[in-house]
Amino acid sequence: MIVPSSVLGQAVDQTGRPVGQPGVVAPSDRIIVGGIGLRNRGQQDLAAALADPRVQFVGIADVRESSRETIKSIVDRHYGNSNCVIYRDDAELLAREDVEAVMIATSDRWHACMAVWAAQSGKDIYCEKPAAISIAESFALAENVRRYGVVYQAGCQRRNVPNFELAVGLARSGKLGKLLAVHADDWSRTVTPLGHSWWPEERPEPDPLVLDWDKWLGPCPWRPYNSRYPDGGRSQFWDFHAGILEWASHTGDICQWAADCDHTHAIEYEPVPGTTHVNCSYANGVKLIFRGDGWLDLGTCRVRLEGTEGWIETGDSGKMEMSDDLRPYHQTVTMRGTDPSRHIQNWLDCIRSRSLPRANAESTCNAHVTSHCAYIACQLGRKVTWDPAKRAFVNDEEANRMRSRAYREPWRLDSLATSM
Amino acid sequence: MQQGQTQQPPAQTAPAGGAAGQPGGPATGGRGGRGAPAMPRIPPEFDANPIWQLDQAKLIAILKDSGSTTFQKAIACKRLAQIGNKESVAPLAALLSDNRLGHYARFGLEPNPDPSVDEALRSALPKLKGRLLMGVIHSIGVRRDAKAVDALGKLMYDQDVEIAQAASASLGTIGGPQAARLLRDGLNRTKIPVLPVVARATLVCAEGLMRASRAQALELYTTLSGPSMPKVVRLAAYRALNAEASRTAG
Repeated sequence: MIVPSSVLGQAVDQTGRPVGQPGVVAPSDRIIVGGIGLRNRGQQDLAAALADPRVQFVGIADVRESSRETIKSIVDRHYGNSNCVIYRDDAELLAREDVEAVMIATSDRWHACMAVWAAQSGKDIYCEKPAAISIAESFALAENVRRYGVVYQAGCQRRNVPNFELAVGLARSGKLGKLLAVHADDWSRTVTPLGHSWWPEERPEPDPLVLDWDKWLGPCPWRPYNSRYPDGGRSQFWDFHAGILEWASHTGDICQWAADCDHTHAIEYEPVPGTTHVNCSYANGVKLIFRGDGWLDLGTCRVRLEGTEGWIETGDSGKMEMSDDLRPYHQTVTMRGTDPSRHIQNWLDCIRSRSLPRANAESTCNAHVTSHCAYIACQLGRKVTWDPAKRAFVNDEEANRMRSRAYREPWRLDSLATSM
Repeated sequence: MQQGQTQQPPAQTAPAGGAAGQPGGPATGGRGGRGAPAMPRIPPEFDANPIWQLDQAKLIAILKDSGSTTFQKAIACKRLAQIGNKESVAPLAALLSDNRLGHYARFGLEPNPDPSVDEALRSALPKLKGRLLMGVIHSIGVRRDAKAVDALGKLMYDQDVEIAQAASASLGTIGGPQAARLLRDGLNRTKIPVLPVVARATLVCAEGLMRASRAQALELYTTLSGPSMPKVVRLAAYRALNAEASRTAG
């Protein structure tokens, strides 16, 4: 029975928590949330969600038994019951009609595919970054979120961290003068651009009840099992990873936002020989530089925005450095760039208001496409030119072939209605 | 005044050695995630870089050599995805029925723009079953092979539910008037669990038709907004119809 919150007064809900008090949300007003693949980063996201009284977390799906049990234990302890349901198969969780939203923090190879399934199931989505490991996945994600009208927030939480917001605000409001260049930290050049470098020794596959290897691999190419992959080494392999998007999905995203280019992609990409730099440019004239060195000591995931009248640089420490004229705008920020709490709140707000979150699918898709193009330029070791309208590299068949990765059966990336 | 207040943009500095992953460069793993195991010395028989440097002819030779390992063939397929032309199509297609390498073969074929790829994938349809057939159907969809529409229309009623779903999804992606007709029939003739996939595919097809055949697209949306359709599809069709009504009214 659904009970309107207005009649609940000082009653308690089925978990024994008082309802009808400040900061307490009636059961009928809560957002029913499930989780898929919440492991390391996912547990931080989960903690932020559980801290919000609007959330009722009801189930966890994971291919790994230990992760399923860990999340159930955390959730049950939080609510003081044993109600969190565990699933080996995410399809069972997505089929639950009562579940309104899902949080996805599998490793990278599953993000876009899982988010598309969730959208097709009508669920609102919080999904960790990178949102997609190819250009094709990026577009498919945005198209499915739009098609099914769900609320999607990528785990690009720096869009809701004050020092990054301030930096972007200064750029977008003209306080830096005419914006000339935006710099994105891409320290994490974690896999070889050619990237198919090796297979560890084959080991016996684990019991699927403990770790479902076939499902763990998902849409990626088959390879023989070795515990190196699921036990932390997955990002050493291109098959499971998106290269510079490890950080560029954050820093490139912030830069694209600052450049007022959420709706498009950079058009030229030129790797600088002998460096880790990729020089890019937008049609509006703003330069975008991905680089892994030469940064001020401001923490990880740094960005630097430069205009004709000033500059600002900031990072995950919350600290910021800026040109003299901008000193009046300086803020002391204690929130770390890795903290997802405000970002999760923004997602929940948007679920209620049915509005666009800060890191919505469209802006995320476009920022990811820019970063993927830069990565492809790195892989090819030469300049490439991108046509945003055609979703294609200009006169560059080899680059165009790198826009997608064929999915392993039985998985597929449903539903691009328009040609790439 | 704080330190760094007037600092200028940093000069570009070259890192020591080549960037990780330059062709032939170190296969360093970087951060590798929490608790990532240290990178060991890579066994030469499982090192992809030497294969990656080969030209198409030598990659094809690896595929044809019965003495090549699964690893060698897998990497050759991946490299051919980037550089393979018509010459690579038949050797890759010969692997479509291989349980371990079937996907690698599609990995090599799918982005190759040569039309012979479409012919090879279509030819494989009657020869495969199960997951391998699903994979080929998916690749046909990705490549938007309009010549495969009739074959997929038949597979939409395959006894293997997953094959029927795969064929439906690919029809939606390929799109066009003929796929639209087949999918619309499928909305009446298929049942759960195929019907929801047919409905989603029809949504995609309707989107694709909006420019070329608006009337047919609106007809599809109207059908999809009917009470027998899955709720998420119904709502999506309503949104599309409302958006179109707003657009024409405005």
